[in-house]
Amino acid sequence: MKIVKLCAALSLGFVVAACDEGVRGYPADKTVDRGINTHSLKTLKWGIFVDPDGCDHWISDDGVEGYQVNRLDRYGKPVCSGVAPPTYTAGDFKGGSPIADPN
Amino acid sequence: MFALLSAGMADAQAFTRDTPSQRGRDKGQYIPNIVLTPDGCEVWAADDGAEGYASNRLTRKGTPICHEVNTCGVVNSDQFFATDSYRIHAQGKARLREFFKSSPAFAYAIVGHTDSRASHEYNQRLSYNRANAVAKVAQAVGAKIADVRGMGETAPVASNRTREGMARNRRVEILCFQ
Repeated sequence: MKIVKLCAALSLGFVVAACDEGVRGYPADKTVDRGINTHSLKTLKWGIFVDPDGCDHWISDDGVEGYQVNRLDRYGKPVCSGVAPPTYTAGDFKGGSPIADPN
Repeated sequence: MFALLSAGMADAQAFTRDTPSQRGRDKGQYIPNIVLTPDGCEVWAADDGAEGYASNRLTRKGTPICHEVNTCGVVNSDQFFATDSYRIHAQGKARLREFFKSSPAFAYAIVGHTDSRASHEYNQRLSYNRANAVAKVAQAVGAKIADVRGMGETAPVASNRTREGMARNRRVEILCFQ
């Protein structure tokens, strides 16, 4: 969750120092989630999303940001493990952020 | 021929490095983090404020870069199969059953390999047949097999120039998925 989003959401009439970064834009270093619960992206909490073809993707909901990549075995083939039916998810992939998320 | 080529080029999107997207504080530079998935494979991930971006980190051959590789079992072919055969003897089957019964993995991929002797086609077939033989034992004790394949001599783990290297290349890998 980003301070800049929070600023907008609360519609505060005064400048909050932490809003500054969001207003000026973010630096080239995109390796961390800034704002509330600042943390390195290395600590993302991953789960599995099963696509309509039945193959696995790693999915992570980090508050405002979402991440998804193919689950590949070490030869580069998709992993289609059947851990959940197509279109369903498995694992606590929203567990990495304390921000209330309607979805 | 030339017309076809130029038509294709005309459709391609031209990317320039000076659009509104490059005029922010980051000047269009995105330095991503390298993040490990639970399987131990590397992923590029970037947090751009309110958006997140990620993709698999691949070698230029197209394979992912993985650390604690999820190979959880390697079947030494010499101990389980006779030369050129894909039948597993009784003792080998018992060992495999034991392995799959005690493994906590959710699903498996079984990947067969050979050394570089004999033809490519023969090795593809033999490695696939051996992987299938292992998969059948696994399925018989209730293990979930997500994929079975033979890679023949295409993915050696050791040099085929020595006897010892060739012996190591003759193998069936069991990839485990939690």
